Amino acid sequence: MIEAGPQERARLMRTPQSVDIDITDRCNLRCKYCYFYTSPADVKTDLPLEEWLRFFEELNRCAVTEVTLAGGEPFIREDLKEILEGVIRNRMRFSILSNGTLITEDMARFLGSTPRCNYVQVSLDGSEPETHDSCRGKGTFEKAVAGLRLLQKHKVNVAVRVTIHRYNVRDLEATARFLLEDLGLSGFGTNSAGHMGLCQKNMEQVELTTAERELAMKTLLALNKKYGGRISASAGPLAEGRMWSRMERARRQGAAAFPEGGRLTGCGCPFSKISVRTDGVIVPCNMLSHIELGRINRDRLDDVWRNHSELWKMRDRRSIPLSRFEFCRGCPYLDYCTGNCPALAYSLLGVVDHPSPDGCLRKFLDEGGHLPEEELLEP
Amino acid sequence: MSADKPVANPQVVLREEFDDWAVLFDPDTAEGFAVNPVGVLIWKELDGNHDIADIVRVVREKCENVPEDVETHCREFVDSLIRKGLVGTEVTHD
Ligand code: SF4
Ligand code: SF4
Repeated sequence: MIEAGPQERARLMRTPQSVDIDITDRCNLRCKYCYFYTSPADVKTDLPLEEWLRFFEELNRCAVTEVTLAGGEPFIREDLKEILEGVIRNRMRFSILSNGTLITEDMARFLGSTPRCNYVQVSLDGSEPETHDSCRGKGTFEKAVAGLRLLQKHKVNVAVRVTIHRYNVRDLEATARFLLEDLGLSGFGTNSAGHMGLCQKNMEQVELTTAERELAMKTLLALNKKYGGRISASAGPLAEGRMWSRMERARRQGAAAFPEGGRLTGCGCPFSKISVRTDGVIVPCNMLSHIELGRINRDRLDDVWRNHSELWKMRDRRSIPLSRFEFCRGCPYLDYCTGNCPALAYSLLGVVDHPSPDGCLRKFLDEGGHLPEEELLEP
Repeated sequence: MSADKPVANPQVVLREEFDDWAVLFDPDTAEGFAVNPVGVLIWKELDGNHDIADIVRVVREKCENVPEDVETHCREFVDSLIRKGLVGTEVTHD
């Protein structure tokens, strides 16, 4: 492997800018495509408040500016308010990823009273109970919407995430209308059920077929045009529709390689953030929770960040050319491709240093997929 | 009345980076401000115990090629931090 040179090593941020924390292993739901349960992140241990508060003091000394609390369901922790007060006391901002069903008026009021909350992300998978509840459980739609309305009432910045699966892929227009018009959100994000955690067991029920993926891509691009770009995505059909169309256009025009193309550059996170499991073990990403880098309050975060060889392996991954892989041999998109998410590569193939077949454009086309028409694309 | 002694807002985070530049991050507004290495030096003096004359002395001591009008630059820099809410001044009475 070509390793990062001394210059690249010297240019690394001194400490991570943000930290993703799985704050609890507990959740009141068992969504069919939850990446967490049965994955290496699911370690069945919650740390007590004191351990987190001690860790936040270290984050303060490291000048970390924000944390994202996930899990599990963060609002299930009875001491969540104390946890957040610890975050605030230590000069950080925070975001919370939630299923929305346990948000109380008191908690919403608290979140609305601090200027430190970036957003609370609520998962909402449809415009009506039928589609949402199909994967998340009966009654969860009403509860999630109630939680969301409480957040809105107390002026908390709400980010809705729609996970696209077989049961809601034909409900996207109504979902967009519900979120953007009825609930009046400024926007929402999308992804799709990925081959991780519980999703692996429920693939036939939730994973989009090639035709459904194509449908989702086209529908979301059309909706984004209609709603002036208020739908976002960093993964899933909308992100793929955009990226793959750019790649296809570049191939057609014989364009020069993309700056990030031709190598495993799909994940830039190890350059700015790091994650912690519910048991306090430090990992590169919650989705790569099998790579253990140390433990909070025992190992120094700045030392792990700067010196751990596994983390450098993740960073050095960016130098690995796609041409090295049999999987990519002869691919016309090689110069434009980033090899996609390493965590998905790991969960599908058991290796991190490999392009993820899930995000592979050639595979999508070979399986009969078609890219969206040009007029659907943003300029 | 004696001179004002600027004091850094204790909530503001100084994120020093690899090239000695830094970002001052205000967690209440989520705004970040880039500061050069001299700015970092000045920031560290804003503890409420030093006035501008003290700060100028430190800059002259620790930096090379310091311009004649360094005091004006220091004052402008501190004023800009005050305007952004990153710094306040403690006024002491004789
Ligand atoms: S490994 Fe995948 S899921 Fe994790 S941060 Fe990187 S791109 Fe995102
Ligand atoms: S085969 Fe797939 S992953 Fe490899 S370069 Fe082509 S599009 Fe990318």
